[in-house]
Amino acid sequence: MSDFRRFIAKRLTVSALLTLVSVTIIFFVLRLLPGSPFETLITTGNLSPEQAEEVFALYGLDKPLWQQYLVYLKNLLTFQFGYSILQSRPVWAILGPKLANTLILLVPALVTTAVVSTAVGMYAGWNRGSTAETTSIAVTTFLRSTPVFITAIFLLIAFSYTLGWVPAFGMRRVTATPNGLLDTYLSIDFLHHYLLPFTVTVLYYSGDFLLLARNGVVEKKGSEFLKLHRAKGLTENEQLVRAGRNSLLPVVTYFALRLGMIFQGLILLEVVFGWDGIGRALVLAIEQQDYPLVQAAVFIMALAVIVMNLVSDVLCAYLDPTVTANGGAA
Amino acid sequence: MTSEQPLLEVDDLHVRYSTNGGDVYAVNGVSFSIDTGINYGLAGESGSGKSTVAEAILGLLPENGAIDRGEIRFKGENLLELSAAERRDVLWEKIAYIPQSAMDSLDPVMTTGDQIRQAIEKHRNVSETNARERVRELFDMVGLDPDRTEEYPHEFSGGMRQRVTIAMALALEPDLIIADEPTTGLDAIIQDKILDTMLDIQAQIDSSLLLITHEIGVIAETCAELSLLYGGKVMEQGSVDNVLINPTNPYTMGLKNSFPEIEGGDSPVSIPGSPPNLSRAPSACAFTERCPFSTEECEQSHPDLMELPNRNHRSACHHVEQAAQMRRDATEPETWGVAVEAENEPETGDVILEADNLRTWYEQSQSLVSKLRGKDPTYVRAVDGVSLSVRRSEILGIAGESGCGKSTLGETMALLTTPTDGELVFDGVPYEQYRDGNMKEFRRKLQIIFQDPFDSLNPRQPVRKLVGEPLTIHDYRTDERTAAITETLETVGLPTTTSFLDQHPHELSGGQRQRVAIARALVLDPDFLICDEPASMLDVSLKVNLLNLLRRLADTEDIGIIYISHDLASLAEVSDRLAIMYLGRIVEQGAVDSVIQQSKHPYTNSLLSAAPEKDPSVERQRVLLEGKPPTPVDLPDGCVFAPRCPKATTECHSAEPAADAAGDENHLAACYFPDSEHDPISAEDSSTGTESVSD
Ligand SMILES: Nc1ncnc2c1ncn2[C@@H]1O[C@H](COP(=O)(O)OP(=O)(O)OP(=O)(O)O)[C@@H](O)[C@H]1O
Ligand code: SF4
Ligand code: SF4
Ligand SMILES: [Mg+2]
Repeated sequence: MSDFRRFIAKRLTVSALLTLVSVTIIFFVLRLLPGSPFETLITTGNLSPEQAEEVFALYGLDKPLWQQYLVYLKNLLTFQFGYSILQSRPVWAILGPKLANTLILLVPALVTTAVVSTAVGMYAGWNRGSTAETTSIAVTTFLRSTPVFITAIFLLIAFSYTLGWVPAFGMRRVTATPNGLLDTYLSIDFLHHYLLPFTVTVLYYSGDFLLLARNGVVEKKGSEFLKLHRAKGLTENEQLVRAGRNSLLPVVTYFALRLGMIFQGLILLEVVFGWDGIGRALVLAIEQQDYPLVQAAVFIMALAVIVMNLVSDVLCAYLDPTVTANGGAA
Repeated sequence: MTSEQPLLEVDDLHVRYSTNGGDVYAVNGVSFSIDTGINYGLAGESGSGKSTVAEAILGLLPENGAIDRGEIRFKGENLLELSAAERRDVLWEKIAYIPQSAMDSLDPVMTTGDQIRQAIEKHRNVSETNARERVRELFDMVGLDPDRTEEYPHEFSGGMRQRVTIAMALALEPDLIIADEPTTGLDAIIQDKILDTMLDIQAQIDSSLLLITHEIGVIAETCAELSLLYGGKVMEQGSVDNVLINPTNPYTMGLKNSFPEIEGGDSPVSIPGSPPNLSRAPSACAFTERCPFSTEECEQSHPDLMELPNRNHRSACHHVEQAAQMRRDATEPETWGVAVEAENEPETGDVILEADNLRTWYEQSQSLVSKLRGKDPTYVRAVDGVSLSVRRSEILGIAGESGCGKSTLGETMALLTTPTDGELVFDGVPYEQYRDGNMKEFRRKLQIIFQDPFDSLNPRQPVRKLVGEPLTIHDYRTDERTAAITETLETVGLPTTTSFLDQHPHELSGGQRQRVAIARALVLDPDFLICDEPASMLDVSLKVNLLNLLRRLADTEDIGIIYISHDLASLAEVSDRLAIMYLGRIVEQGAVDSVIQQSKHPYTNSLLSAAPEKDPSVERQRVLLEGKPPTPVDLPDGCVFAPRCPKATTECHSAEPAADAAGDENHLAACYFPDSEHDPISAEDSSTGTESVSD
């Protein structure tokens, strides 16, 4: 087996193990929590203890823990997430749309901020010590360290309540009943609701990319190869592009990792804007101890992080010719 | 002859750097002019301002550097008055640049071919196909494989990267090429060949050359005129023949003395003392603190450059009329206040490092597709069966062309690379034991100094941190940190002022960076040192200082040293024993005098004949080797040197000679037909009647 294959195989194995560990942890943590998903139903009298027993058996919850665990693993591996206990609908039918809602908001926002903030960061790094640099760093650091819901509320007050430009809440008009994908996500109405949460997300993530890109360029700035580029007669901007290309690696890695993490949603943001995303769904499901729902959600999130980790490794190897597959520099 | 306008005139140039620790007056009134078609040399010790002058001409000074005064005229046009855009048009089209550190000067994430193409397309309106064609042509011209234009810089060795930068400089056939140490750091054979190629092409395209180097030998061989800089001032200037044969300035005399020769009877004498303080503009003669002929007059003012009658020769010295007398005195070490050490017989101790049949093979990089297909990797046999041993107090020199595996051998012995096969014993303990948990001890006792100072220094740390860091890591002398740092800096000849301690690597000259790297190794008082080309960036006097320092460490501290270099002159100077490496093997090894004077292996012979000669009046006989060493992947059967060996026979092609095929235990050579009778140096003996320092 060649080194490269070995490298891929190794990464895959590690990824698989990590996934296993995370789904195992969530399985046991859920079971160890006090109470059961039927507590509320029983106490409110909607479910008699006998009926509860029945449903319990139906979901296999009366079996010994290890058997449940094995079944659970088997189901995850075959992507059969089962039925929600409380909503009696397939888990996927519940989570799918919420995940889509989250991704449709966060992915474009992340891509936008990655491109724009990285470019600004590189420019700032190149013009080290300029007002452009200091201001951009101050502003984005401020945005990054302020909790996202505060920024959100602030913008809501400004653009929604005061100026009335955009609606304050939800993903679409209450009366809207879209059918079909196009209708759901491509209407003017949706765009209207989309703008503010999108902007907040862009601002929130901008600081990381800006700093990473700026630091990279600052570090490259005095380097000998840029001097030779300069000697060749490249303009400032052309030199900046080369410095940028040379400091792209951490930015791309970070982007891939972030992309994995947004499968968790941005809970606070979803709450403030009434955005029906996966973050809210997860919190709700944990509260209700809806095991299948929580397990599936956590599995998807863990998988996303792990897959994007793998992607970022491969990207690195692709972007940096000196990184060999076995991890060292040639 | 100067009726026509000079190509480049530098007139009273002053450059100052501002740093946190105050100003650095790097160049203080330098003037010279280069005529069309002339090769001009710029020499001087490290930190004398050579690179700064070059950068000022090219407009490449860093942001903290400013030209305070002076003019730079190119074909009569003052470059300093051009707009940024006009200046860019002059760059490369008219004035091209070969940078000092080729190792770091290529963009790591752009293929070498593209980098050259970029230079062409920036200035010429050519189609991509034509540009590519031109790149291939250039690769071929400088002796690189035209099929390798798609490779990245890290896939090239140091010498090959230098060829890339040279190809780049030649791309547009500029009027003037400024080459800052173009061959420093390359082995003698490659240096010789590269200079040869460079001069050849340069003559073809009829451009002038401003060659910056501290190797007077290179200037003597390639240039017609030169200027010698010290403390940002021109000390002596004129035609190479006059200046180097009959120097009139004490500084030139000192420099000449300190140039080590392969077979010089005298040890070189370095100019004692450290470079001048540049934190203010010089008011006395810049050299006065180190000049043995200094008088009160010298303290009063810096002497002007004075034209010597009837020849192209200028010197800045108050006592230029006593030049003949000074020249005589300067050859005596006592003049410089250097005690001549009696050549004491080396008393070597126990064996401290021993390698037996050591091998290091690298897997060769493959394309992504063949990787995925799982094709069997091929191996580069960088080190292929090396056996050697080093005793305490002994310096073993390892010489060889670039790419012969010297550096890999060094890294393997320092356990930075794990040996593929073979045995390695350090201080009586096999390397496996260190690897399994005692690495820290090993790392403190055995230090390695690298070729490439910039790579090994963290750009964000000041000198103080850089030198102090190993102490922290190894928890060594932590209570007397400052003292340890200061002592070590003094040992390597660096200033110990606060402002210097606060400087960052990019604010140091090439030589200063290298010495900081050396200080990092010495601060831990190691038992064993592996030096990989430690002196390649250093000017002569620093080089001599370093060699003396290593010698002293070996003699008094009882440490064993491996000195890896391609510079046979330095090796001959410092080593007790010498090993010659070719394609991962040691082809000859023995006591240094014996190897140099009675070299047995044909390869050693050609190495010996490639070293430049500092006396411009001596014609050197070269034994230019055909071709370059094959890549150590698919080696033919038989003697590895056979394809390039002038004496090869069928026997040589059929079986490989053992490491001890010729000679006795004091001097081994892997050759069936060793040269035994003749002395390879005699052909170019330098005592040809001219006034030479080594008489
Ligand atoms: N960017 C910088 N900031 C501050 N000081 C600098 C800077 N670059 C160089 N210097 C200082 O200017 C002086 C001249 O440096 P320069 O690089 O011109 O020397 P050099 O003659 O090329 O030496 P070498 O042979 O070691 O390359 C040195 O004292 C150096 O420390
Ligand atoms: S002027 Fe004086 S100090 Fe300077 S080089 Fe001449 S003799 Fe030496
Ligand atoms: S063995 Fe033959 S080919 Fe090899 S170095 Fe000696 S003479 Fe040349
Ligand atoms: Mg220099």
